[in-house]
Amino acid sequence: MTLLELKNISVHYGRIQAISDMSFSVDEGEIVSLIGANGAGKTTTMRTISGLLAPSAGSITFAGQDITRMKAHIRVVQGISQAPEGRGIFPGMTVEENLDMGSYGRKDRTKVADDLERVFDLFPRLKERIKQFGGTMSGGEQQMLAIGRALMSNPKLLLLDEPSMGLAPQFIRQIFKIVTEINNQGTTVLLVEQNANQALARAHRAFVLETGSITHRGTGKELLANPAVKEAYLGVG
Amino acid sequence: MSTTDGPTLIPDDASAQEIADREAKMRQRKGWFPGLSDKWNALPRQTQWLILIVVVVIAYLLPILNPPLITTEPGNNWQIALAQMSVYALVAVGLNVVVGYAGLLDLGYVAFFALGSYTAAMFTSPDSPYVHIPYLWTLPLAMAIAMFFGVVLGVPTLRLRGDYLAIVTLGFGEIVRILATIIPAMKGQVGFQNVGHPPGTDSSGQPIFLNSSGTPWYWLTLTIIIVVLLAAGNLERSRVGRAWIAIREDEDAAEIMGVPTFKYKVWAFAIGASVGGLSGALFAGQVGFVNNQKFDIATSILFVAAVVMGGTGNKVGAVLGGALVAYIPLRFTAIAEFKYLIFGAALVVIMIFRPGGLLPARQSLLAYGRLAYNKLKGAVGDIPPSGKVVLEPGKGADNE
Repeated sequence: MTLLELKNISVHYGRIQAISDMSFSVDEGEIVSLIGANGAGKTTTMRTISGLLAPSAGSITFAGQDITRMKAHIRVVQGISQAPEGRGIFPGMTVEENLDMGSYGRKDRTKVADDLERVFDLFPRLKERIKQFGGTMSGGEQQMLAIGRALMSNPKLLLLDEPSMGLAPQFIRQIFKIVTEINNQGTTVLLVEQNANQALARAHRAFVLETGSITHRGTGKELLANPAVKEAYLGVG
Repeated sequence: MSTTDGPTLIPDDASAQEIADREAKMRQRKGWFPGLSDKWNALPRQTQWLILIVVVVIAYLLPILNPPLITTEPGNNWQIALAQMSVYALVAVGLNVVVGYAGLLDLGYVAFFALGSYTAAMFTSPDSPYVHIPYLWTLPLAMAIAMFFGVVLGVPTLRLRGDYLAIVTLGFGEIVRILATIIPAMKGQVGFQNVGHPPGTDSSGQPIFLNSSGTPWYWLTLTIIIVVLLAAGNLERSRVGRAWIAIREDEDAAEIMGVPTFKYKVWAFAIGASVGGLSGALFAGQVGFVNNQKFDIATSILFVAAVVMGGTGNKVGAVLGGALVAYIPLRFTAIAEFKYLIFGAALVVIMIFRPGGLLPARQSLLAYGRLAYNKLKGAVGDIPPSGKVVLEPGKGADNE
């Protein structure tokens, strides 16, 4: 079943067009990866889906509902949660307070404790550092916190914007493992990545984004094997 | 590519963590009273209340004690100085909601102060041709009018961020002053004499609240400050307070956590404005005279300086900062002329050695909050302490 659908979306920054006429969809239970170079429009796409940017044309449907004009903080309640690029944690809040902010829009307070346990199971490190300020944590831990915080809203769709950015290779593998695990627990994941290798290997389906448009689409395996994608994004000729 | 390594601790990360820990320690060493807030938060609740009560009693006794060295006499009447200091302290508490909690740099806050002053003046002064009401009624009226204009200013401008917002509010501050100059009804430089005061006479038949007697005004304003502080404390610990802190820290992140950021920014603006209006009305009553000369941009900047000096985001710091900003030129009359020069230098020095202000926000701002979180989800309170993190509730997270 289609969970998220973008139809003919265009986004402008002032007069500059960042995304032109983009259409794609994400089915329930999938991991979908968007890969592309710097400036291809990956983060713009994410911010448009989460509602921080308004598209200049096109429509977005989520769980059968048109959310094109819906405010970002209401989309969270509807089930879209984002771990923003550059982690976007609250540096002056502790791990605990950051996670608590993640559940801000929720009414079902009784289930929050369960989700907290789930986040601690996924990221035991966060439990150890519960009283530490977000701003004083290492990059990897901040990324864990950003993903954990996004999960605290119990989303149907988790948007991950470059979770591997600035992390050590070993840690990148671990983050992707956890992404798969989150997906296995029933959360649909839309992933934006420069690290094409991992992103494609983990994804059910993937899209390649170039200067604001989708140029290739297919399953993760197909794109991994695609010569053009290989040359441009996987560093093999 | 290995997929066998489980989600355990990451060796690559340990070194990064060490650096972060060291940085955190460095940050904490800054300041003149290291660990003071930690010590305060570690005290039992009863002890905290006891100390607070003693402080409040001393504050009420200040006009009678007239402590040597601290007093502003012989240069300025000490009781009137206290009254003015208390008004500035109230201004700083109000502005702290906007600048400190929500992180919105409002450089035109004097506009709300002016609106409050003019409300009190135009509804009570014999120079005003309009309806006259008892002075005390002008206090809630001033709050309502300032709040209304806070929303009117906030709704279009709060879509702006950072520097842009600062510039627009700066303009608003000037607009109110200029309107007071050019609208005949507001009487420009001539102003309004004999602004009203609260009722009551003493045994000899003199009104209690004279412009020349500071003590009753000081007590009235101090009482209002305490009420406002209690309300602000409750706000801090509420959902609204948490939303403000999140907005201040990262507005986009707050929005995608489900915080209606725009709504809460307008709230911060409106609440701050109403306190500004209230302090303006008190100021007008105490001084007894209102004209367009007292509401210039320099005053507005002085208000911001008071909040920053005291400790942005800390309501007690704001009281301290506001009182200090009024006190220094009254106490050291020889340097009063150079007060802006001195405040400028003092701000630079404070920003270098104590970037959080005299009483930095963090500990007091969220210490209560942390307890609330623990209560909220009992699960979190029971985490066994790890080597690096201090876990006593309310003691703050220092990495010793």
